Amino acid sequence: MSVTANEPLNVQLKRQALALAQARLRDDALTPVRRDALKLLEHTEFPDRRSEQWKYTSLQPLSAGHLQREATGSAPLPAALAAHRLVLVNGRYQPELSQLPENVSLTRFDGGEALAAETTDDTLRTPFAWLNNATLHDGLQLTVADDTVVAAPIEVLLLASDTEAAHCHTRLRVSLGRHSKLTVIERYAASGPVLTNAVTELVAAPGSSLTHYRLQAENAESLHIGTLVIAPQRDSQVQSFQLMQGNALRRNDVRAILAESGAQLALNGIFVGRGTTHIDNQITVEHRAPHSHSEQLYKGMGGDSAKLVFNGRIHIFAGAKGTNADLSNNNLLLTPGAEINTKPELEIYNDDVKCSHGTTCGQLDAGALFYLRSRGVEAAEAKRMLGFGFVNELLAALPDEAVVEWARPWLEQALTDAEPVA
Amino acid sequence: MSSQAELDKLIHGDYEAGFISAIESDTLPPGLNEDVVRFISEKKGEPEWLLEWRLAAYRRWLSMPVPQWAHLEHPPVDFNEISYYSAPKSMSDGPKSLDEVDPELLRIYEKLGIPLHEQEMLAGVAVDAVFDSVSVGTTFKAKLLEAGVIFCPISEAVHTYPELIKKYLGTVVPQGDNYYAALNSAVFSDGSFVYIPKGVRCPMELSTYFRINEAKTGQFERTLIVADEGSYVSYLEGCTAPMRDENQMHAAVVELVALPGAEIKYSTVQNWYPGDAEGKGGIYNFVTKRGVCHDDAKISWTQVETGSAITWKYPSVILRGDNAIGEFYSVALTRNLQQADTGTKMIHLGKNTKSTIISKGISAGRSSNVYRGLVRMSPRAENARNFTQCDSLLLGDQCAAHTFPYIESRNPSAMIEHEATTSKVSDDQMFLCRSRGIDPEKAVSIIVNGFCKEVFKELPMEFAVEAGKLLEVSLEGAVG
Repeated sequence: MSVTANEPLNVQLKRQALALAQARLRDDALTPVRRDALKLLEHTEFPDRRSEQWKYTSLQPLSAGHLQREATGSAPLPAALAAHRLVLVNGRYQPELSQLPENVSLTRFDGGEALAAETTDDTLRTPFAWLNNATLHDGLQLTVADDTVVAAPIEVLLLASDTEAAHCHTRLRVSLGRHSKLTVIERYAASGPVLTNAVTELVAAPGSSLTHYRLQAENAESLHIGTLVIAPQRDSQVQSFQLMQGNALRRNDVRAILAESGAQLALNGIFVGRGTTHIDNQITVEHRAPHSHSEQLYKGMGGDSAKLVFNGRIHIFAGAKGTNADLSNNNLLLTPGAEINTKPELEIYNDDVKCSHGTTCGQLDAGALFYLRSRGVEAAEAKRMLGFGFVNELLAALPDEAVVEWARPWLEQALTDAEPVA
Repeated sequence: MSSQAELDKLIHGDYEAGFISAIESDTLPPGLNEDVVRFISEKKGEPEWLLEWRLAAYRRWLSMPVPQWAHLEHPPVDFNEISYYSAPKSMSDGPKSLDEVDPELLRIYEKLGIPLHEQEMLAGVAVDAVFDSVSVGTTFKAKLLEAGVIFCPISEAVHTYPELIKKYLGTVVPQGDNYYAALNSAVFSDGSFVYIPKGVRCPMELSTYFRINEAKTGQFERTLIVADEGSYVSYLEGCTAPMRDENQMHAAVVELVALPGAEIKYSTVQNWYPGDAEGKGGIYNFVTKRGVCHDDAKISWTQVETGSAITWKYPSVILRGDNAIGEFYSVALTRNLQQADTGTKMIHLGKNTKSTIISKGISAGRSSNVYRGLVRMSPRAENARNFTQCDSLLLGDQCAAHTFPYIESRNPSAMIEHEATTSKVSDDQMFLCRSRGIDPEKAVSIIVNGFCKEVFKELPMEFAVEAGKLLEVSLEGAVG
């Protein structure tokens, strides 16, 4: 760890990121992508608390030098959530652990193939996503051909592990052909103080339908900075569900671009922070074309000294007539000491729209708690039950039973108070 | 339905208060430096401490960057092109009893429809009229003093009630609070001072009327209202300016102090010149308004914002004491190329504090209308409660409406609800009105009035009527 005296953290991080990007430069088909990203990085400031998008989140946890070491640890393989799965360990693809159904093809961006033009630097927009591009080595693209329905879900397991501060970069792209259908379960697991800098892109061609899960229950000491870009094209449907646990630093940047008519998007999420964890969600939905539709429901729960951040922005462009967009964000503070900062934003540039957002912050209903206690339910159990009740509408709506079964014990754990309940 | 005459007025109804008055005035040449600050202070015969206070603010201002976070676009303001002091000439010497006021000035106010003459008073509204930089006359002063209420220009209060000014000035909005507040603290010329003693319910509504007349001047007024324990006051503020091609600066500061059990109701109808249809001219309105609520006190802000080329305004309440209540009711209408970035801040510090925010934004033409708000629950704010509703109505496909509410909670027992909707005028409502023979213009006006009703009902009667009329005139031509 090299810390120059008085050098601000964002300058340090930029220096480390540039060093990392330069070390990864090599001559292959991906060189232009890396070079462009490096150029962007050179001209970008790394964020600090003064930047609006990072108002509530400090990058201080990264001062341990995560960007200076690549993660190399090994992790046990958790039980599969689907019949087919792809496995990455520390950002490296593991072909021997992976298998795919016949009608899905895999492209590996390991230098042999050039990245398609859609992965432009502009859609990514954050320095961490550019860093991901600049260090690109083992990106995966899942492609479903036109008119293909993939019946069974595919799990993409992304493991990261190390015993010291280290990083790994993961890159996933899911590309659906016209009128195709797919379910992808993206699942992150980490042990040790590893930073996962993940970029995922979902591209749904006209008339296709994609169900996407992003399950993120990494351990509390790990860090995760994730970027998710969703691009549903004409008359396609994308539903994406995120489950997030707090850890030392969790940043969740989501950008959905509805650039064609008839695109439909449902974004849902549950995020739970306990202990001293941190979760920062920055969700942007852009309606660029007429007659597109988006719906969002995010539920957050925070206890102990966890800090939750939610920023949900709906941006409707001038030509996007007949747009419907809704956003709800409901939050529960489970114990004193926890904090929630939420900002649902609307940015609207035409009149033919129906937009709304709603936000609530509060605690478990005292009356309901009393009712359960009066029926002989333990306080801790009562809190768990009510916590489940709070998010149940989201869980119950999930189409894949395997995910629900995975989520329940995880939530149960997250809703259990660390200290004895008074 | 409406008569032809009314219709004509509506159609040709441009900015009614846009006349320029030929009044000879004492105006400082444009430019800002320490000498200007000294000049203003000397002109008012201010005590040494106030000059020092102004100079400290000026030095702070020099070191501050221009805030860029608002959703506004305008060329950078050259603060050296503005004249920081302008007074109608006939005011420069002699006492200012109402009888001695320049009749030309009084005629202007008559034109504006302010009941300045006591005999013309509508049910007794006491007015402090501020013309450019000085206060022209305060009506009903004697009657108010009888009740123990102090209502006078702040420049006068500095001399008459120095201990009160010294105690409260800058306690709510400190000199270095923000860029425009610092500028105001350095060069503020006049404004109103109100003090309501313990347990007194102010016998009438107090009112200030602001008008910028002189070209290339800025108006920097400062209002301070102190409501002592258990008192009540309702205060109204209205603003206009003549039509001029260049932009004029208005940077005001309003400070409210509601001591335990007191209640302050502050209503504004802001109708500064908004610029013409091409966005030329108009007032840049950068205002800092804030109140502090002690135990069991209540502050209620009601605003109707229809004017100004740019509005940058966030009337806020710091709910310091337990059981304090803060309210914010706002209608902001923008049209042509007007831009408004307005909202409120509710800072909950005490237990059982409550706040309500109702904001209605209407954008027409190519304008941009932003609601920006903050609700903050501190760890101490047990059982605090907030309800926010902000609705936007869009008229025309080139306008923009935005909502940026910041919500921060650090207390689990605090409850926050926030709702926002954005839509256009409903086709069903339009159809209903049209099928009843109401012309489109009138129909929109009726629907918009209904949309704003929740806010208008918070306004004192005369203001509610004025606000309704103002909206109607402003909406002219907004229906495509």
